[in-house]
Amino acid sequence: MPEIAAPAIIKPRRPNILARMFRTLRLPVNDPFAVAGLLIYLVFIATAVFADQITTHDPTEILYTPSYDLAADLRPGQDGFIMGTTSLGRDIFSQLVYGSRSALLIGVTAAFMVALIGSIIGLVAGYFGRLVDAVLMRLADIAFGIPFLPFVIVLAAFLQPSIWNVVIAMALVLWRDTARVIRSQVLTLRTRGYVEAARVAGSSDFKIIVRHIAPNILPLSFLYGSIAIGWAILTEASISFLGFGDPDSISWGYMLQDAFASQALAKQAYYWFVPPGICIILVVSAGFFITRGYENILFPKLNR
Amino acid sequence: MTNFKAVGSRLLQLALVLWAVVTILFLMFRLMPGNPMAAYIDPTFTLEQQQQLMAQFGLDKPLWQQYLIYLGNLLQGELGQSFRYREPVGERIWTLLPNTLVLTFSSLIIAYAFGILAGAYLAWRRGSFIEQAAIPAVLTTRAMPEFWLGMVLLAIFSFSLGWFPAGGTRAPGAEYSGFLDLYTSRDFLSHLILPAATLAIYSQGLPLLLMRSNMLDVMKEDFVTMARIKGLSNWTVVVRHAARNALLPVMTSFAIAVGYQLQGNVVVESVFSWPGLGRELVNAVAASDYPLAQGAFLMIALVVILMNLLADLLYAVLDPRVSHA
Amino acid sequence: MTEPLLSVRDLRVSYQVGRSFVHAVDGASFDIPKGSITGLVGESGCGKTTVARALTRVIADNAAITGGEILFEGRDLAKLPEREMNALRWRDIAFVPQSAMNSLDPVYTVEYQLGEVLRRRGGMDRRQARKRSEELFEMVGIDANRLNDYPHQFSGGMRQRVAIALALALNPKLIIADEPVTALDVIVQRQILDQLKELQVRLGLSVILVTHDISVVAYICDRTVVMYAGKVAESGTMQAALTAPSHPYTMGLRNAFPDLQGAASGVLTPIEGAPPNLANPPAGCRFKPRCPFALDVCGSEPPVVDVAPDHPVLCHRARESAALRIEAAKTETWMARA
Ligand SMILES: Nc1ncnc2c1ncn2[C@@H]1O[C@H](COP(=O)(O)OP(=O)(O)O)[C@@H](O)[C@H]1O
Ligand code: SF4
Ligand SMILES: [Mg+2]
Repeated sequence: MPEIAAPAIIKPRRPNILARMFRTLRLPVNDPFAVAGLLIYLVFIATAVFADQITTHDPTEILYTPSYDLAADLRPGQDGFIMGTTSLGRDIFSQLVYGSRSALLIGVTAAFMVALIGSIIGLVAGYFGRLVDAVLMRLADIAFGIPFLPFVIVLAAFLQPSIWNVVIAMALVLWRDTARVIRSQVLTLRTRGYVEAARVAGSSDFKIIVRHIAPNILPLSFLYGSIAIGWAILTEASISFLGFGDPDSISWGYMLQDAFASQALAKQAYYWFVPPGICIILVVSAGFFITRGYENILFPKLNR
Repeated sequence: MTNFKAVGSRLLQLALVLWAVVTILFLMFRLMPGNPMAAYIDPTFTLEQQQQLMAQFGLDKPLWQQYLIYLGNLLQGELGQSFRYREPVGERIWTLLPNTLVLTFSSLIIAYAFGILAGAYLAWRRGSFIEQAAIPAVLTTRAMPEFWLGMVLLAIFSFSLGWFPAGGTRAPGAEYSGFLDLYTSRDFLSHLILPAATLAIYSQGLPLLLMRSNMLDVMKEDFVTMARIKGLSNWTVVVRHAARNALLPVMTSFAIAVGYQLQGNVVVESVFSWPGLGRELVNAVAASDYPLAQGAFLMIALVVILMNLLADLLYAVLDPRVSHA
Repeated sequence: MTEPLLSVRDLRVSYQVGRSFVHAVDGASFDIPKGSITGLVGESGCGKTTVARALTRVIADNAAITGGEILFEGRDLAKLPEREMNALRWRDIAFVPQSAMNSLDPVYTVEYQLGEVLRRRGGMDRRQARKRSEELFEMVGIDANRLNDYPHQFSGGMRQRVAIALALALNPKLIIADEPVTALDVIVQRQILDQLKELQVRLGLSVILVTHDISVVAYICDRTVVMYAGKVAESGTMQAALTAPSHPYTMGLRNAFPDLQGAASGVLTPIEGAPPNLANPPAGCRFKPRCPFALDVCGSEPPVVDVAPDHPVLCHRARESAALRIEAAKTETWMARA
């Protein structure tokens, strides 16, 4: 096979972004776990959207039984509370449903930020190389040296308690994983014929990036973004559990903190602290199943 | 020669990362909203004491001078005075670090021993029903909030069954003459089991999945086929050749996992009231004990950074292609 | 001719790819006499490696021996129970792979890998194994103090010698060498082939040398088996096959390679085209699409014709081979097809 490169003949091709993305993601319809993951996501999103319609009570309202006692520590089904009540007399089922809202909100925004920042940095580092690359990759090294959860805790303690702290902290630290992977992808892309051809033909850097590089890394950014959804939800849960969350928003992590602080373990109130954990597991693992987030994705540092 | 150069540049990188993290921490604790002075001066001290400390940490000087003093203090291991404990932060950290390390290493060693064996087994049984079922199950353990797992274990094994104590490292009133005495006691072990199990269940997924996929790759290598053509036993082929090669990256991941685990400890130590660095960090932040929070953060960061370095070095030592270049 | 060491009869090996099958070896028959070097030659993709591996019965996961016999000292290896087959591996049949780099385990020293075979398969103790390793290194011309080195510390040619030393370890009766010098430059190729030949003669070994390069066969082999598209096109002694090739494919191969001695034997003429895809081979003679002598009759399965004793040829026009040879020597004959 003669390998005669003929750059002049190779037309810069513009790949169909959507087709490429789906091909790379290989949404595996014949993989039952992936299908299950998609279904979980659908239910999760629907619950978040229709939370007002689904819930039976205001999740923060202190409730009373028909006999005007505080509806505290009721077991599931008692007095019509589907999943029971908290020690403060709040409806667990309604909290669980509203928890999906903050999970969705945090998950999607944090994932978007992480994927966006990581992709841009990786792209710029890989494309321009040299000093730019060296500086950005040292920044990534530094980000790898920051213990993530302690960082979020300190940040959350200094800033106003808000669900956005988690998003900010993730954006500041977790871009590193995506950036490294995107960078190495860009490095291999740069050696492809059509990028070189476009360069020889005098296309501007911006044009080459937008036309030839970005479409090729988009699926990967998407993949890392999807994984970040899970991390964001887990991180928010940890932060809320430690008491640095937003006290005004009901999240699954908040519910767990409330249960833990209210001696739910000693009271054997499994109906209180098991469901939020299950919800977190379902949503996070759904993301893993869908994106086939196997070991490489779960542990990107080894993936350099 | 090249080896020296590589190690040299890696150490340089380490120094850079350390400096950067230290600087970020400085900025975080000085520039954040609130009274920056509070980062060092306990408001309950007498005015005289406050001024003395102001001078020691140079808080009466411009920011850049404070920064230099801060670096100088760090270089001498001077981390300031804890507000709550009224003792040097350094001492406080040194008493907590062993607890954290014992928890981290005992859980990780269990996780790795199990994960490596199970991963190799699943690779060997590739395509079987057990493998098809195990992989999603393992992914599910990675999707669990660690502290929630801890809560469930606590509720079942401590509060319901009463098999294990609910928290801490020792029975109330028990006294030990030192770390070694404590760590080798039955009392300590019974306190260790639940938090260590929690962390181990969460951590085993990484070595397991890594080992499995490495094994699958290595089994396709020519030298494994050759080992079969040599008529070597199945055990020799799978263990001595396939597993031995697949193990390399898994071993280096151990060091990185220590760093990750240390972060996970923050929540799990809180669930089990385990007197370690992570729980101390949380408590210090919550109680605005800034010197202690800063010290604990630095210590955790230091371990994370050193472990990242160790991972690289471990790889170089374990892989003869690097060590015998 | 005395009883051959190995006699392959109508061997069939298939790979399963999705729902279809690639019949990579489709009824191959040939003999390997004792104490000879036989060249198994053919272009890439003709099924040589598949045959070679079938003889060890360590084949790909998606492969199966679907028919035929592999008679080795009176036993049919194709049907031998796995236990007995494994007992015979390396002790009787050893293997030299194409890339010693990938075939040696990177994390063990060469001494470990020699010792592993000597002790686990040869029943030696540590001291005996050490002694034998030194002996083997001397045989292939490597200094014994390099035994403690790791594979990556050797050059390509040296690694190939290590692979040969490994194959010799247990004094096997048959060594199968699959493209043992293909990855090396010509000078090193010749050194290693010389060494292989010298050892073969000295130790009275039988060797199957798999190669796509007919000049390698011409250089050291006593006999040759020419494979095309999963079938044996022609086999026989060196003399018969190379001075008087009787299959058009062999004639074509002769024209396509320079000889290793470097003697310029005129212009090189490649055979146009490539071997067929074995998932869907052409009907009748598989060489027909590329053969300059093809006739209508070639659309039917060609017969095996013994043009001389011990010289079977798979071709409708085998009896005209003398005339075809004269045509085949002309460059135009091979150009015309294109
Ligand atoms: N593992 C495999 N799966 C499917 N097809 C294979 C496999 N290995 C080889 N083949 C096919 O079998 C045919 C013969 O291959 P091989 O024996 O390697 O030929 P050679 O050694 O002569 O180059 C080729 O068409 C090749 O594509
Ligand atoms: S059978 Fe016909 S096509 Fe095939 S090699 Fe002989 S002459 Fe050529
Ligand atoms: Mg081959």
